[in-house]
Amino acid sequence: MSDVRVGELLRTKKVIVCCGAGGVGKTTTAAAISIAAARAGRRVLVLTIDPSRRLAETLGVSRNPTDPVRIPKDRSDAAGITTGSLDAWMLDIKLVSDGAVRRLVKSEADAQRILTNRIYQQVSTMVAGMHEYTAMEALHRLVHAGQYDLVVLDTPPSRNALDFLEAPKRLSGLVDSRAISAFLPKSDSLVARTASRVIEKILGAVFGHEFAHEFVTFIATFTSIFQSLNVDVNEMRRFLSGDDVAFLLVSSPAPAALTEASFFHDKTRELSLPFRAFVLNRSHATDAGRPMPTVPQDASEAVRSGLPKLAGLAEIEKAAAVRDLTLLGELQKRAGQGATAIALPDLPQGADDVSTLVTVAEALASS
Amino acid sequence: MTERSRLDELVNKRVVLITGKGGVGRSVMTAALAKLAAKRGKRVLVTEVGDEGDDYSPLARHWNRERLPKHPEPLETNIHGAVLLARTGQELFLKSVLRSGTIARAALSSDALRRLLSAGPSFREMGVFFQLLMALREKTGTNPTHELILIDMPATGHTLSLTGLPELLLKLVPGGPIAAALKEGQTYLNDPKLAAAWIVTLPETLPVSECLELIDGLKKTKMPVGGVVVNRMPADPFTRAEREALAPLVDQHAWLGRELFKKPIVAHRELARLRSHTALPLFVTPELPHEGLIASLTTLLDDANPLPMPSGGA
Repeated sequence: MSDVRVGELLRTKKVIVCCGAGGVGKTTTAAAISIAAARAGRRVLVLTIDPSRRLAETLGVSRNPTDPVRIPKDRSDAAGITTGSLDAWMLDIKLVSDGAVRRLVKSEADAQRILTNRIYQQVSTMVAGMHEYTAMEALHRLVHAGQYDLVVLDTPPSRNALDFLEAPKRLSGLVDSRAISAFLPKSDSLVARTASRVIEKILGAVFGHEFAHEFVTFIATFTSIFQSLNVDVNEMRRFLSGDDVAFLLVSSPAPAALTEASFFHDKTRELSLPFRAFVLNRSHATDAGRPMPTVPQDASEAVRSGLPKLAGLAEIEKAAAVRDLTLLGELQKRAGQGATAIALPDLPQGADDVSTLVTVAEALASS
Repeated sequence: MTERSRLDELVNKRVVLITGKGGVGRSVMTAALAKLAAKRGKRVLVTEVGDEGDDYSPLARHWNRERLPKHPEPLETNIHGAVLLARTGQELFLKSVLRSGTIARAALSSDALRRLLSAGPSFREMGVFFQLLMALREKTGTNPTHELILIDMPATGHTLSLTGLPELLLKLVPGGPIAAALKEGQTYLNDPKLAAAWIVTLPETLPVSECLELIDGLKKTKMPVGGVVVNRMPADPFTRAEREALAPLVDQHAWLGRELFKKPIVAHRELARLRSHTALPLFVTPELPHEGLIASLTTLLDDANPLPMPSGGA
């Protein structure tokens, strides 16, 4: 058994990154972790991209504000937060990337030129890796601002839990100087000049010449920004591999969960990121201790006729509980010494009220 | 018009997107619809949006394959299969524009262009979009080679990126061959006579909420929505009297079986919520045993059989 405890992580770490494929309840888990830490008296921020309308409603915050917002007092009271505090920021990609441009560019005139470039306006939201980059950028800045004890990051939804780790690399790969220089009209070598003419010709044939020209100009304007971006991605990697950070993988008890978990585990190790826990969400593992239905003493006829049917359903749930317990055991084995695996219950109603989130938060705090 | 006949209409389209969040039975539904259309004599192309590195396809599994081929190959009578890959589409597109396979391949092997095309999701969607367009255009004699193209769409975000692509890119690239391809694609995808998106969902709280959001999203991208398949509607084995008598006991003792006991109630509540929020046809399919799932679904969807209605509930 490992000595890592999730309850301890949320009381001591400065950053908790929740990773996981789309649709496993990652946002709900991130919100519950944040509530648990705030209940323990910490000043907490939960950072999430593209959340469901429902979670924003549950926490009582608007979507896409320009800065983090404190959750309203009635929610905070309902969540049992007393000395701690909980802020939430439902990030808007465009707002954050505009902010990044302003910080990276020296003069306001340059910033304006970029922000009004129509290619930028599209690219800022459509380039793969921008969501992930944006989240990392905001995380980095807010952690260093020092107004929070803990920042919980709910990574952007994706098909694959690893996208969050890979996407910024893809972005920095794109802006790698070798790739960029091929687009640039000015270059010393004849080969490079020829290559860039060929590329512009192809782009012209494909996109139309007006767009191709604008595109090449755009790339040229952006080279400096892209290069500082590149540096930042590496800097963020270093920051995320620190001791104050914990990575969690949220998964659901699907057959693929185990494969995904070991893949993720290997990947974080390879990147020297501090992986700390598997969270098996929507699991029935915690049901294993619940009793089977029994005939009560003064059972009515309806109870007597209904009970055998209920017993059948109970058998199905029992089998699910056993299956999920086995899976949890496998995950714990895989987690090894430096990490752990915990199970969170399946919430039949979805996380549509604060009290449901508090139930999960309590389970997390004591795990 | 009945819901049954609306479902029937589906097999008479040129292109149908099957969409919905993961785990709702989307691939199973795509396979069942393909088999149904094939049975009615349609030449079907069944596809999914794939990724270069995919080593597993839930859709191909229904034809005992690891994955679908890059270019259409026969899977069974009247059914061809192919995976829609960004790169295949980009290559096809560059070939058609540059009129030379060699230059297209050279362009795609250029490090710079390759990185650019793989970094921009819009370029990726464009590849998928173009491959779809090529399949729509393909003719055998004077008839379309693939009368009906069914696409098992990935996560809902990707669906909206694909259906929203023409409008987004046309703003950016108003002229040239890309614009022409996008406009041609729109003549199919935005025409309710030729195209429809069907959403697969479950009768549960979050899936229904997400389904309603997706309906709005698709409408904003001008994609006609054919209807919603509410999958795995649980049957209710209890009589009303049994429910009323058992409900307090189940809660009091926290018995195992509690969640499944409540499931039909939640399911009917969520189905009612879906009905009250959308006028689209809803097609309800019951929970079915895993064994022979595709065959039973195909039979269920076939109009030779009575419309399945789940029994019981509140």
